[in-house]
Amino acid sequence: MQKNWPFQSVLIANRGEIASRIVRTVQRLGLRAVVVHHAVDAGTPAVRQADAAIEIHGATPVAAYLDGAQIIEAARGAGAGAIHPGYGFLSENAGFARACAQAGLVFVGPSPEVIDLMGDKVRARAFVAQGGFPVAPSAIEDDDPASFAERALAVGFPLLIKPAAGGGGKGMRVVREAAQLGAELERARSEGQRYFGDGRLYVERFVENPRHIEVQVLGDAHGHVVHLFERECSVQRRFQKIVEESPSPALTPEQRRDICATAAGIARRAGYANAGTVEFIFGGGDFYFLEMNTRLQVEHPVTEEVLGIDLVEQQLRVAAGEPLGFAQDDLQPRGHAIEFRLYAEDPARGYLPTTGPVLALHEPRGPGVRIDSGIAAGQEVTAAFDPMLAKLIASGATRTEAMATARRALSEYVLLGCKTNAGFLRRLLDHPAFAAGEIHTGFLDAHPEVAAEPPLAADTLHRLLATAALASRPVRDAADAVPALHAAMGAWRN
Amino acid sequence: MAHAFILNGDEHELWLSHERGGYRLHVNALQLPVKLLPRGDDLHELIVHDDSHRVFIAQRGDEVHVHLDGETHSLRYVHSLSRFAGENKDEGEAVARAPMPGAVIAVSVEAGQQVQRGQPLMVIESMKMETTISAACDGTVQALHVSVGQTFDRDAVLVTLDRNGTA
Amino acid sequence: MNRIESTLNTRSADFLANRAHNQALAAALRQQQEAVRHQRPERDMQRLARQNKMFVRERLQQLLDPGTPFLELSTLAANMDYDGEVPGAGVVTGIGIVSGREVMVNASDASVKGGAWYPLSVKKIVRATDIAVENRLPMVHLCDSAGGFLPLQADLFADRHYAGRIFRNQSMLSKMGVPQVAIVLGHCTAGGAYVPALSDYSVIVRGNGAIFLGGPPLVKAATGEEVSADELGGCDVHTRLSGTADYPASNEHEAIAIARDVVAQWQRPQKARVQWQEPEAPYYDPAELYGIVPRDIKVQFDMREVIARMVDGSRFHEYQPAYAPTLLCGFAHLWGYKVGILANNGVLFNESAQKGTHFIELCNQNRTPLIFLQNITGFMVGRDYERRGITKDGAKMIMAVAGSEVPKFTVVCNGSFGAGNYGMSGRAFDPRFLFMWPQSQISVMGAEQAANVLAEVKLRQLARNGEQLSAEQIAAIRDPVLQDYRRQSSALYSTSRLWDDGILDPVDTRNALGIALSASLNQPIAPPSYGVFRI
Repeated sequence: MQKNWPFQSVLIANRGEIASRIVRTVQRLGLRAVVVHHAVDAGTPAVRQADAAIEIHGATPVAAYLDGAQIIEAARGAGAGAIHPGYGFLSENAGFARACAQAGLVFVGPSPEVIDLMGDKVRARAFVAQGGFPVAPSAIEDDDPASFAERALAVGFPLLIKPAAGGGGKGMRVVREAAQLGAELERARSEGQRYFGDGRLYVERFVENPRHIEVQVLGDAHGHVVHLFERECSVQRRFQKIVEESPSPALTPEQRRDICATAAGIARRAGYANAGTVEFIFGGGDFYFLEMNTRLQVEHPVTEEVLGIDLVEQQLRVAAGEPLGFAQDDLQPRGHAIEFRLYAEDPARGYLPTTGPVLALHEPRGPGVRIDSGIAAGQEVTAAFDPMLAKLIASGATRTEAMATARRALSEYVLLGCKTNAGFLRRLLDHPAFAAGEIHTGFLDAHPEVAAEPPLAADTLHRLLATAALASRPVRDAADAVPALHAAMGAWRN
Repeated sequence: MAHAFILNGDEHELWLSHERGGYRLHVNALQLPVKLLPRGDDLHELIVHDDSHRVFIAQRGDEVHVHLDGETHSLRYVHSLSRFAGENKDEGEAVARAPMPGAVIAVSVEAGQQVQRGQPLMVIESMKMETTISAACDGTVQALHVSVGQTFDRDAVLVTLDRNGTA
Repeated sequence: MNRIESTLNTRSADFLANRAHNQALAAALRQQQEAVRHQRPERDMQRLARQNKMFVRERLQQLLDPGTPFLELSTLAANMDYDGEVPGAGVVTGIGIVSGREVMVNASDASVKGGAWYPLSVKKIVRATDIAVENRLPMVHLCDSAGGFLPLQADLFADRHYAGRIFRNQSMLSKMGVPQVAIVLGHCTAGGAYVPALSDYSVIVRGNGAIFLGGPPLVKAATGEEVSADELGGCDVHTRLSGTADYPASNEHEAIAIARDVVAQWQRPQKARVQWQEPEAPYYDPAELYGIVPRDIKVQFDMREVIARMVDGSRFHEYQPAYAPTLLCGFAHLWGYKVGILANNGVLFNESAQKGTHFIELCNQNRTPLIFLQNITGFMVGRDYERRGITKDGAKMIMAVAGSEVPKFTVVCNGSFGAGNYGMSGRAFDPRFLFMWPQSQISVMGAEQAANVLAEVKLRQLARNGEQLSAEQIAAIRDPVLQDYRRQSSALYSTSRLWDDGILDPVDTRNALGIALSASLNQPIAPPSYGVFRI
């Protein structure tokens, strides 16, 4: 079906794996993909795949991708009619969305007003509560700054301090004892100021061993809103997700219906258009609204795999003014998909970010294996950006099958030169609690053996030493230097 | 004097000797016949005794990165000269190294400035956490090797101090 | 080349008795060497530890390439001298592999009298440098010596082949383009200072290493100046100020690592080309050597059986098999190298000497190294033989041995008596290496014979005075002479005085000769030339 798009060219204001993934769909739809990039990303797959690549500049690489004005200028110069912001960076920046509109460019995402609403976690929470949807007990500073500390105490422990302008798990702190509350509030405030330009806080009851369940929603400009079922993202470290899957092994069909309907209800009430995700905390049979992300999420592929839908395509169609091509009842998830985030980090050393050159890269292929990758051999992994390298999405008819596929694919994932968490992900897969679906956000803290580097078996050690020895010139040269007679005699003594 | 490789922070001594048709690895008290055959791209076949293993190998400098049995490992060759080199090459210098990869967000001293032990030199950021790098001893700032906004790897030298001869 | 057909009965009573006897001797040798190499008073080892010094054996282990052989020379030097208090003469020498290169190692043993140089220590070091010169072997010196042992200075200082010869040889090596590296791990005093100074490369350990012509006590006595060893001639003085030493090291391990890296820079020598093929282990078990060598030195045995347990595949091409059977001559391969072997199967007759001379000339013509397996009581004596020119024929053989340009290697397997020693390339004829077997004897004549001769002289003396002696009285005169003679002709005595390069367990002979052969080929082989053969 030929489509007349209102824009022929889409500029992707992002980098890494998501830029590459968006470029793929843009090109598949017959549109032109333009990518902006900082010089350090010149060798990345997105830049090579795109129809055009424009270099942007900034005091730091991150600053370049946050420079809305420069990006809009680049879009204009390249003749792009739409800008897809990906996730992170400017994707939830209402100011940037407005500037796009002012520049006559289509911003692929919801309206600036909704971004504003959901971006302010305090406002968002209030909005959801007013709609009659479940929220966790909390205290919001803005309501009455003077009594905030007292009201925070009343929320009960353990509680979670969150920056009002925060998101993506950043700047949050768990407090278990009243004595620590004062100091923790201070620190959270200064970090909020530093990272989000806003020191306001709110405090929420923290559910122990909660499960993080989110629902993908999609709305069009004509008022239709559907949900695309849920994802579970409970395996996290430092509040950042590592593994996400769909469907959630925790929900009964009734719970699934409830939580998805709630998400769709919230989106509908907000007049939501384009793709978004409503995140919930689930524990003890109850769920509470956590936050809504007004953008495409990192883990969107698991939804795509179980529904057979290209979410980026849907985003572009909605942005182009099309009505949704399906109704809620048309959506039937099939099978199971699990996404594993491959990070440049060392789980055994507190998940410390790692750096290094990508000397060799071999990504697994095969049925049920999808790799969304942002790196290529020859690149340097630096501390300039978030350490996520790629996403491995494994699908199967059942969760067990998906896990088996994932296990094989992870063992076939080869990245040499920079330490990754691939081994850690395999250990996670092999953990009986994970296999049983008994996951929660404290899973990794509860099972430190997953992150720990297991001791090397003697055989493995010998094989590694043999490989290193045979591959190293000085070692081989020293062996070759010994005359044959003496090498044959070995360590003989008279 | 044997060769040494560092793996997961541990030093392992080994020796390789040539024999007809291949090599022999001497490690601990064992001697293992070994062979490494290229199989294209980064792939190799490692043969220990008669057992064959697929390995991916990539090297840069003294680092050997190996993918074996689904796991990735890094070994670093340490030359004997480096292994046994004395601690204090030059009594006069002290370096501050980065405890983790990150970026510099603030520098509070300049070259030539006198500093005291414990005095903050710069603030770095990694994983959205700030860390202050302080002077390990009294001295003068000899050189700042990074500037605000610059990123660096773990163990990178950030500041060099000239000790003022005080203990 | 055909395999030697062994006719040995390895189950005979004789074989088994010989074997038990020789195995016991070999075991005793191993034990004695083990003690000399490793047993030290606790006090001395603790002193080394306090000084932050490694024991010489540890230093050697760090120096040499792992998994490579080390042919140690004259382990039991001084075993019968200085009341046995100077094991190995306080020095370790030998041929080993460092960074893939064949080197001669000369290492002080500071655990023995502080590494002081006794006369036999000097002789051992001179011998090591002589071997280096003759074979163009690079050298590695591990210096850690208190200097010359003053009470015995008369036997180590002034003469031509005493201490000065070490430095002369070092200079010659350098002149010949054969490199040396010295690792200064302790003091190098007076003459000892010249070892690193005359080495092309030197490494010095900060703290322990010091080089000075006169040490602090001497300096104080001479000029009244008070100065520490380090200030006088330590690492920093010589690597930063005087340029006497090349590389500073913070510790012994680093020093050895540097030295190994220095050796790794040296050019690989061009080896003399001799015939070579892939090595093959002997077909017969070398352990059977224990059963072949007789318990009684007077008993004869067939050297073919010895050769069969030493050479590649036990293959041997006998030369002139029908002529002069008491001197066995023939070709074989040892560790792949083609060699010419001369071995005694009895006394040397005219024909034996002639055959030997001819064979030596053949080997020189086709550049085949020579191996002499000695079991010789001497040349045949008697009127008939003299008339046929046995002295002349012996002279021919000696002339051939002396003029030989191919490398020679001698193993005293059993007896080495009188002029037979000369014709069979004894020490004076510069075999590149000379080894003894544990039960071997070496003297101008056999102990029994000598004792009889000396007793005979005494008896005649007494008879002139009209005295007659009983059997016991004869024994009383004869036996001490016999004991003394036996002691002075023993392998242990010979090795104590460095008349040889070490006693070998017979089963180690193959490997020792292999290493020796390889080392010798660093020296080019000149075309043969001889003096005048008295035809």
